[in-house]
Amino acid sequence: MNDGVLTSQGPTSKQASLALSFWAMIAVLMTVYIGGSMNGLFDSMQIDVHFRDVSMFGIIAILSLMAIQIGATAYAVLPVATFAGVVLLCVHQPEPLLRYLILAAALFAIGMYGMVTSRNAVRVLMAIELMLNAVNINLVAFSRYCDTHATGQVFAIFILTVAAAEAAVGLGIVLAIYRNESTVDMERFNSLKW
Amino acid sequence: MDQLLSLQGWVNANADSYETFFFYILAALAIPLAYGVIFDRQIIRSGFLLIGVFGAISGLFLLLQAQFLAMAQIMIYAVGITLTVVIALMLTNPKLEQEKSIAVPANQYIGFVTAFVLFVTVYLSLLSESFPVIAEKVAPQAVLMQIGIALTTNYALPFEFASVLLLAALIGAIVMAKNESGLPDELEYSVEEDDIVTPKIPESVA
Repeated sequence: MNDGVLTSQGPTSKQASLALSFWAMIAVLMTVYIGGSMNGLFDSMQIDVHFRDVSMFGIIAILSLMAIQIGATAYAVLPVATFAGVVLLCVHQPEPLLRYLILAAALFAIGMYGMVTSRNAVRVLMAIELMLNAVNINLVAFSRYCDTHATGQVFAIFILTVAAAEAAVGLGIVLAIYRNESTVDMERFNSLKW
Repeated sequence: MDQLLSLQGWVNANADSYETFFFYILAALAIPLAYGVIFDRQIIRSGFLLIGVFGAISGLFLLLQAQFLAMAQIMIYAVGITLTVVIALMLTNPKLEQEKSIAVPANQYIGFVTAFVLFVTVYLSLLSESFPVIAEKVAPQAVLMQIGIALTTNYALPFEFASVLLLAALIGAIVMAKNESGLPDELEYSVEEDDIVTPKIPESVA
């Protein structure tokens, strides 16, 4: 989480080569692991398949932390590592429903991270939209797999309505604050702090 | 014609593997674009990346047999909400400058731990739960009909409340964002007696 590594000039050649080698390593690992488990390569290990997936997820997390420590940009490492982690957690699930729920949880976590960290108030609103969308995926997936009356889609429509109202009012508030304080930095909105 | 029919049969037989394939393609689009929304220094660009995330999610809705919601997603989110966000970005950052830092470093660790713990909790609770998945699938036309019936019978009251909510949000947003030029610059109670300084005539002039 090294802020300030990505300058306006773009990444340096060392950072780019580190990121490329990280991507190649992840691709090779994933290909070997998923291809191997499809062909029964790891069946002799006598380990529960979900435990195996979660330990691979941990290996990828440790690898990406190491890559960031060496000097690769977090912005290049995190998306690939997250996608690889989601694929690992999804690939051996018995029901297709769980794939959608796991992807929605990942998008929700990304939105949560953005909401907690962002300095720009408009970016916080964008992160909240992301989280609402992740919830919508959950509702539609349950409506497809567990329901015959499409109740989940009705609730997704209500969430759509609330999101539209929230965006309009939130952006109105941001504009009003900007007119008074001339900034949209969350760190400097301290008139309500005591 | 025979060839086409057999092709159709082959597609039907492999529908599940198609769904798997397109799910991973859409996940590979949605996750990096979502990171782009969070991390991009040029904030106007992250507003446009948001369109990509919403498009990928509407693709997921298509995979889940929710055609109506996929179209509604594109119309409301990818066009409407993104448009308001981009206009707000242009109003609050008129010169479209790059941000010096997108996050406070202390907040980054807190946010990372929060998001990671949240994801792990949700994943573990998903594994420990067994969901009542049903085998029969509803035809897409029937889904649209059921949404219409539900909105006008069982969920008629929330539907009406949603229209009231939208009206209130519309008026509230206009009032909030309106330029209050009619008001005086400083309200009376905001100026104290001591603050009012009478202009002093320099002695040399006197």
